[in-house]
Amino acid sequence: MTDKRDEKLDGLLRSRSIEAASPDLAQRVILKAQQLPQSNSLPLWQWLRDLFAEFHLPKPAYVLASALVMGMVIGFSVPQETSQGEDDSGAIIQTFLSGDEALL
Amino acid sequence: MAAGWADKEDHELLALIQDGNGQAFAVLVERHTARFYRLAYRYVQNKEAAEDIVQDAFLKLWENPALWHPQRNSKFTTWFYRIVVNLCLDLRKKKRPEALDNDTLLMDDRQPADEMMMRAQEQKMLEKAIAALPERQRTALNLCFDGGLTNQEAAEVMGLNLKALQSLIMRAKTTLKERMKTYL
Repeated sequence: MTDKRDEKLDGLLRSRSIEAASPDLAQRVILKAQQLPQSNSLPLWQWLRDLFAEFHLPKPAYVLASALVMGMVIGFSVPQETSQGEDDSGAIIQTFLSGDEALL
Repeated sequence: MAAGWADKEDHELLALIQDGNGQAFAVLVERHTARFYRLAYRYVQNKEAAEDIVQDAFLKLWENPALWHPQRNSKFTTWFYRIVVNLCLDLRKKKRPEALDNDTLLMDDRQPADEMMMRAQEQKMLEKAIAALPERQRTALNLCFDGGLTNQEAAEVMGLNLKALQSLIMRAKTTLKERMKTYL
C-alpha cells in the first residue's frame, strides 16, 4: 500500500507540467549580453568573500581563537577590583611605615 | 553553429568567456537555457518570471565572468544551479508567488475530460503542497525530480552531504504523501 503510494507520488513528481519557455529565450539573452560591457574585476563583496575563503582555518583554530577572545574579555572585566586591591595593600604598607617613623 | 564550438566542454567555454568571447557565451546559453528555465519555473510558477531569472543569471555571468573559479567550482552546472536557485529565492522573498488558479493549469487535451479534470486537480494540489514545504525540502525536491541532477549533484548544489539531502527528500515526500493522501 505504502509502496504504491510512493510510486504514485514519484510518478506525480516526475510528470509535473511546465509552461514551455519562449523559443527565442536563448537568443534574447545573447542579444542582451551583446549590449553589456564585461567587467573583469570582482564586486567588493565577492572579493571579500574570496579573501576570507583563502584564509579558511581548521575548526580547532577557531576554538582556540574564541577561547583567547573570551579570556581577554574576562580579563578586561576584572582589573578594577585587582588594582583596587593593590592600592589598598600600598596604603597599608604606608601606614605601617609611617607608624615606624612615629616611634623613631 | 560550427561543430567545433558545440564540442567544447563547459569549462573551455567559460575560459573563453573570461577572455570576452561572445560566441562561447552564446554556445553556453543555448546549451543550458532549457534546464535552468525548468528549475526556475518550478520555483516561481510563472513563465515570464522564470525567463527573467534565467536571463539575469546568464547576464550576471557575462558581466562578471571572474565569478567563475575553475579551481574552486567543480562543474559549471552545479555552480550555476546555485546562482539560479538563489535568484529564485530572492524573488520569492520580494514577492509571494501567485496562487495557481484553474487557468494556469496545463492540461493534456488528448485525455478524456474527466481524467483531465482529475489530473488537473492532482496537479493543483501537488503544486500547493510543494509550495507549502520548507524551503530546503522544496529545493531538494526540485533539483532531484526536475533539475535532472543525481542526488550527489543536488547535494553539491545545496552544499550538503548525500545523507542530509536524502533525509530532506524523505521528509518532503512524507509530508506530501500526507497532504495528498486523497489522491494517492
